[in-house]
Amino acid sequence: MSPDLIDPSERNTHREDGDLADGLRRRDPLAMEILYERLGRQAFGLAYRILGDGPSAEDAVQEALLTVWRQADRIDAARGRLNSFVLTLVHHKAIDALRVKRGQQARQISVDFAEVEKVGADFSERVLQSIASGEVRAALTRLPEEQRRPIEMAYYEGLTHLEIAAALDLPLGTVKSRLRLGLEKLRVALRAGSGDELRRS
Amino acid sequence: MNCDEVEDILGAYALDALPGELSADVTAHLATCSKHPEAAELRAVAGALAFAAPEAQPSAALKTRLLEALREESEPADAAPRRIGILGWLKPPVRQRAVPYALAGALVIALIALVITNVGGSDEPRRAASSLSGENNAGAVVYELEDGIIVLDAEGLKPLDTAQTYQLWSIASGKPSSLGLIGTAPNGEALAVVRADLNAIESLAVTIEPAGGSIAPTTDPVLEGKV
Ligand SMILES: [Zn+2]
Repeated sequence: MSPDLIDPSERNTHREDGDLADGLRRRDPLAMEILYERLGRQAFGLAYRILGDGPSAEDAVQEALLTVWRQADRIDAARGRLNSFVLTLVHHKAIDALRVKRGQQARQISVDFAEVEKVGADFSERVLQSIASGEVRAALTRLPEEQRRPIEMAYYEGLTHLEIAAALDLPLGTVKSRLRLGLEKLRVALRAGSGDELRRS
Repeated sequence: MNCDEVEDILGAYALDALPGELSADVTAHLATCSKHPEAAELRAVAGALAFAAPEAQPSAALKTRLLEALREESEPADAAPRRIGILGWLKPPVRQRAVPYALAGALVIALIALVITNVGGSDEPRRAASSLSGENNAGAVVYELEDGIIVLDAEGLKPLDTAQTYQLWSIASGKPSSLGLIGTAPNGEALAVVRADLNAIESLAVTIEPAGGSIAPTTDPVLEGKV
């Protein structure tokens, strides 16, 4: 084999995920196996955190991955994006299942792919770097309870701001501002975690 | 909806905590107004919460179920492209230039070994390969696809009836742990993608187990090899 076989500089994760996305688009089951092995535990952990029982959580993961499989033509190739895209789908499926469990209407009748894709696209590099280093969990833990709790209720329990206000017996305006403030703090924490603050200022 | 009203509920919007109509109103506003640059970032931060949940191990049945569902939805797959597919994960330039589709299994394995030793530079020492062997020319190559994910590429495995399955084991300190079940093609070839830390494993083995797999091996290995 010739020495120009691979340019090491091309061996970045972006490229690897391009391959994985290609594989999914070709409907290569191997690609799905790799995606599953890479992300399955994170996806199941998320669904389990939301649904609280294994069988429902597995159903949510399965549905999300089947959605990826069926609509693979539309996925973005970049690695962090692919991961966040899949987890966003898992989140949607799990929240829908949770709402059905509670006797509420599923919030999304079906996952809007364009919308999910937009969220994925919104992931900036710096946030992705923070994610990679496990920074998100730590940042969330560091939030004051009064901001963390409403955020968790929104994200992991699928509650609207009205439902959160009722559950916590707080004025709606207070909930709105705590959600916003909590997210702002997370944003600052994730930026700091990736060193982006230094580059920017 | 005006800019102040949007700002007032932007946190809830980012977290998908608005009733549908309200959320759609915000989306519509953001599409035409450039005064809320933080909206996208708040949404990204909210999305990042997916990574705040602790990882957890699903049952082994989930993977089996998922792959079965894929198979039901897909064209019946030819075994050869699937094996060739592996090379795809070891970088496109190699696949496209050097590997015709009609290669025989043994040659493919040799090529994989070659590819493994050639891909990347010194920054990629983690792609260590190992090989397993058994009776009647059964054999397998194992390599690391990416950190913590390995692929077993086997051939010469006799087809099993539906009451039995091949199961892959890692052995560390003499103790076997299941890495998962392996489906075989009628021609005796098999590919399995599993999570395993090759640094923490002494050897790998494949056994025949009752359908659904066993907690510990119940038969002697048909394939085994040191890592
Ligand atoms: Zn505006």
